[in-house]
Order: sequence, then structure tokens, then C-alpha cells
Amino acid sequence: MGTKRRSRRSFLIDSAMGLNAAWVAANYPGILAAQQFVRTATRKGELPRLAVFTDAQAAEVEAITAQIIPADETPGAREAHCVYFIDRALTTFLKNSQPAYIQGLQDLQAKTRQLYPDADKFSALTPEQQIKILTEIEKTPFFNMVRTHTVIGFFARPEHGGNYEKIGWKLIGYDDSLNHKPPFGYYDAQPQPGHLVVKE
Amino acid sequence: MKQYPTSTEVDFVVIGSGAAGGIMAKQLSIAGFSVVVLEQGGWGKYGREHEYNKDEWLARNVSEEDRLMSDPSRQRNTFRRNDKEKATRGNHSYGCVVGGGTVTYGGSSWRHMPWEFREATYDPTIPSGTGMADWPITYEELEPYYTQAEWEMGMSGLRVDSPFVAPMTKDYPVPPVPLKSSGALFNTAAVKLGLTVVPGPLAIITKPYLGRSACVNCGICSGYGCQVRARSSSAVTMLPLAEKTGRCEIRVRSYVREISVDNIGRVTGVIYFNAQKQEVRQRAKAVVLSANGSESARLLLLSKSARFPDGLANSSGVVGKYLMVGNGASASALFEHPLNEYKGVISGAGIVDYVGSDPKRGFYGGGRLTARGYLTPLDLGLDGLSPDAPRWGAGYKKALREEANHRMTINCFVTQMPLETNRVDLDPDVKDEWGLPAMRITSTSHPDDFKNMEFFRKKSIEILEAAGAKKVWAPPINDTRGGAHNRGTCRMGNDPKTSVVDRYHKAHDVPNLFIVDGSSFVTGGRNHPTMTIQALAFRAADHLIQNAKKGAIRSSV
Repeated sequence: MGTKRRSRRSFLIDSAMGLNAAWVAANYPGILAAQQFVRTATRKGELPRLAVFTDAQAAEVEAITAQIIPADETPGAREAHCVYFIDRALTTFLKNSQPAYIQGLQDLQAKTRQLYPDADKFSALTPEQQIKILTEIEKTPFFNMVRTHTVIGFFARPEHGGNYEKIGWKLIGYDDSLNHKPPFGYYDAQPQPGHLVVKE
Repeated sequence: MKQYPTSTEVDFVVIGSGAAGGIMAKQLSIAGFSVVVLEQGGWGKYGREHEYNKDEWLARNVSEEDRLMSDPSRQRNTFRRNDKEKATRGNHSYGCVVGGGTVTYGGSSWRHMPWEFREATYDPTIPSGTGMADWPITYEELEPYYTQAEWEMGMSGLRVDSPFVAPMTKDYPVPPVPLKSSGALFNTAAVKLGLTVVPGPLAIITKPYLGRSACVNCGICSGYGCQVRARSSSAVTMLPLAEKTGRCEIRVRSYVREISVDNIGRVTGVIYFNAQKQEVRQRAKAVVLSANGSESARLLLLSKSARFPDGLANSSGVVGKYLMVGNGASASALFEHPLNEYKGVISGAGIVDYVGSDPKRGFYGGGRLTARGYLTPLDLGLDGLSPDAPRWGAGYKKALREEANHRMTINCFVTQMPLETNRVDLDPDVKDEWGLPAMRITSTSHPDDFKNMEFFRKKSIEILEAAGAKKVWAPPINDTRGGAHNRGTCRMGNDPKTSVVDRYHKAHDVPNLFIVDGSSFVTGGRNHPTMTIQALAFRAADHLIQNAKKGAIRSSV
């Protein structure tokens, strides 16, 4: 895959300087989210770099992940940096999936143009349009692959690049302290019938 | 660690370092014998267990170096339903590291029931035409060794007086694991239905014991190495003691391809591939084969010679036959309040009333229902939601939020009858990574086994409903195609024509070959094999040591 090693920040700066004003307008919500991400990443001194995806490819993959686990009152896959997890994994454990991503993104673009001739990119569509396209392709190997990788990025340990600030774990109430004391849940905290047969 | 030159004839080579091999190595070396343990896996984090990580993504992408289980793409195996089918690639996998399957297992440590050693004689529900047979030993003979294993390894549990639990002569050394919400819901259902709940006996210590620290209920348990050394594996209990004697060498990455014999039919040693796949010969006065309930049989079948053309110790033709791979059933449910089942051990409480067979059910079979709910974040997200939950989008996220921590699962561990047609043999076409014929598994459970699985599936649903579940689902039953609970392929018996080893695990055909592991099982129990493997190993070691000290194990030179 064309390895265009540019940071997400330089990508955003290009956009913000009007190099592609129409694209910026269409992607404003996504850019806001990405900027938020960059701000946070910068604050933490760890600006992720894309290793495999071009910026344009990353924007498309990120848009898919953001529909697989959308933000509502809580953050979703975009905010959890799932695309960075996928990008990083494509250099290591998922290296064999690189061609599938290239082909899948090309097919996605074709599908996008077929259904929305005025649109150029999946990520430029409205959420409703994106959901319509993904619903049409939800049985394809490509979608299932991205779905799997998004979920892994959302729930795997944060050091793999996703699950940013434990967003995934917070959603499901998972405490990763690896050290727990009873009572563990609601039911074992209740008085027990004490009918266990105990040898005196 | 002691290192023996391969030219040295040691007293014992022990093949495998798991539940049985670890005990055999420890007992033999403490008794004063020289021992070389050949383990086909690596060290894992032996001696530095704190380095085991709880990283789900790494565990799914483990390097060859860090693997804890065998790799079906290297330890290749094939599967077929019956002799008419052509076998296709199988996924049979088992513990493959110093300590074997005990390094990663859930730790269930149920004893066999006393009557499980002689079911074939008295149980009228057993259909004809199966391989059900009585063991040549009794529960009473084995009982002291169960106790020894529980105290030397470190098992937690509660000694209970119940017709559904094997009687014990001594308490467990440490108390049972704390009640989980799934266990509390078992209690609720049991009160309504008149059932018996007991805390699962586990190879997980709940208090500091023998220099090891207690379980911290981390929750990433089965399938992972234990960071705090609370899981009582062979690797943290037996093998360090064996090593400390200065008489036991553990050789990793040692893949045995042949047990060699001389022209009078005595074992002279083994030939194995080292890490570089070079053949190495290790001489020994005797060999203990503890490679597990499927690989032990395969190694005998690979060890053909002029004297043993059908495989070593196989004059009966029984080697590899009567394979039991382990059957189950399950059901899951959602409850109103959070259970947080991810905290703590995988297998908390058990319902034990159906352990025996009952003529009223109309078929042979029994088992235990165990309360679980163990879904780590990745398991939950990938495929852990209820069956009709959306797989992506707003509905998926809603389901994640609502179902996480509200779920429990019942896993049933049930009978599988030994059948002559179910077996391990050598695949005629497929080779493993070392160029040896791959293991071929042929297996279809008896029709009664299927009826029994369905019985347990329905019981699971009934219990979850009685516990007050909001939603219950249960996948269709099926029998198993492989896995770490494999048993029965070198069955024990008094008659050399119908069994492979005698009541002390000595091969009928070979005076200095001892086969000690799940392969010795005559019947399968309720698919909780490890505790009985461990008791058998302590018993076998006792007898072997007595005889060896009397000179039964001698140089072949």
C-alpha cells in the first residue's frame, strides 16, 4: 500500500489551508473529531503517524469504523483511534490484510459513486448515506474484516493504538485493574440461601 | 539445572511435562533417579511467571516462542466423522509448554465419583456395543493419591457431604474461590428446583500456600499464564521441585519421534528432534510416556519396529482406540443487574445433581453444570452478544452497553462413551512440520451422548429461567472434534488382549515402558479429567519407585 508517511497533523493543516475546501466542508464533523484527537495526542506527546494508509485512505477507513461503533452520548470507534490501531496492525499481525484493504476501499468508492454520483468519497457522505452503503455491503468479506478490526481496536489494550483512553473498556464497564475483590456483582452481594451442603 | 550428556543412559526419560509428566518427573527425581524430561513446547515464562501478560490481542497473535498451546499448522492433525470419510484438516490443540495444559487450564479439579470406576458392571442404562468397561482399580485405591495431589499441588475447594460429590478423607488445603454472581444465581435456581450447588474445586489457590501467593481474581484466566502463580500448574508446583533435586533435566523444544527398543523388546531410549530439527538419541533405562491422551497413542503408533510392526505396546491393537475428546452443552442468559462475571476465576460454582445416569431419562449419561460468564472485552465485542443483537452501528453499541456484565453462561461437562471406532491413528497422507505422519482423529459420539447433551442443554435453560433471567439462549449441541480433554487411547486393564497398560500403567507388552496420562482412562468421567490424571500419576510413581528400587529398572547394556 502506498506508504505516504505523513502525520495526521500535516494532513489537517493542508486541509485547513484551503487546499481542498469542498472536502473540508463535507467532512467538518470528522475533522473536528480528528482535531480533537490531534490536540489530545499532542498534549500527551504522542502524535500517531500513519504507517500504511495514505491520509485519504485513513479518512475512509475511519469513517467506516465510526459507523461500526458510532459516537452517541459516549465516544465511538473514531474517538477510540481504531483507524490507528488498524494502520499499525497492518504493519505487523495483519500484514496479509493490506491488499484486502486496498481492494475494499476501491470497491467502496465505486459503490459510493454508483449510489451517490455527486460524491467522491465515502467519508464525505452524510451518516445516513454511509449507513445505507454499509448495510448494502455488510455481508462482504471486506466489511466483516473492517468490523472485526474495529472491534479489536476498540477493546484491545490501548498500547496497540486503539481503545484510546480506555474508551472501549469504559463503554462496557470493564475494570482493567486485574485485581478484584468480592462482591464482584449485584447478586453475590445479596444474602445467600446458605443451602450448600458443608461437611462439619 | 542438571544437564546430562545424551550419551549417558539416564534412569528415566519422561516424555511430556504436563499434569502427569510433571508429577512423574518430580516423584522420580526426589526418589533419587536421574530423569530427563522431554517437552516439545518451550519454557513459557517458567520461573518468571510475573512476565505473563494479559493482552488479548497478543494472545491471538502469539509468536512461536511464546506459544502455550500446540499449533495445528505445525502439529498438524486431521479429522473425520467415520472411516468412510476422507479426513480434512483439524484444529485439535493442547497445552504445549513446560507444564503442559496445566499452565493455561481453567483449573477444574473434580474427582471422579467412586462408581465411575465400575459403571460398566452395574449401570443398566449403558447400551450394548460400546467400549464401556470397568477400571482395574477402585476409587478406594486411588483416594489417597487424590488427597496427595490436592495437597502437593494446591487445590482449593469445599469438602461436602453429598451423594453427588466424591467423598474425601481430608479437607482441601485452601478454601474455595469466592462466590461469583453466577454462583449466587445458581443458588437462587437451586432453591427453587431443589438442586445442589457446590463451589468448583480448582487448581487455583485462594490463600498463600507452599510459597505461592493467592489468586487476585484478575479475570483473564483460562488460556493465559498466571502472573501471580496462583494456578497450581505443574510448572509452578512439581517441576521446580524436580529441578531442585539436581537430578532432573528439562529439555524444551524436544519433539520425540520414536521410542526405541532392543531385540528383546525392551525400551532403550528415545529419538527426538531438537529445536534445530536435528535428531538426537537419549538413552534411558525406562521411559515414562506422558504426552497426553492423543499424542501418547500417536507416538506408540509411530514407534514401529520389527518386533512391534503395528506400533509399540500394541499387540492388542487397542492403541489409539476408545478416544474420548470431551462433550458439553451450554446456555447463556441476561439478568437485570450487573454480574461482572469477568472478575475472578472462569469456573465458580457447579450444580452436581445430574452427575449420575438415571434410567428415567431413557439414555445413558451424566455430567455437571458449571456457572460461568467469562467474556473478556475482545470476546464480548467480537462474538459475545446475544444471538439477535446487531453486529454494528448504534444498535450494536447499545447492546454492548446493556449486555456487558449482565450475562452468565452455563457450561456443562458431560459423559462421552468410549467407542472402538473413535480413535487416533496416523494420517496416510498428511505430514506434520517434522515430516512425521500427522495425527488423524476419527470420532462420532454415541447417540446416547447426543441425547445426554440435549438433556443438559435443556436443564441449563431451565436453571437460568429459574434464576430469573430476562433472556435465555442456547446454541444447538454438537460433539467435539478434539482438544485438551482427550482421553482413553491407551486404556488400562488387566487383560493384555483388550488393554494397553496394566493397573500400574506399565505397558503389557514392554516391561520398562510406563504410559501415564489421560490415555490410561477406561471411561471418561464427566469430562473433568485433570484431577484424576494427577492422582493416577502419583499412584503410578509410587509403584514404579518401589519396583525400581528393587531393581526392576535396569540397564539394557
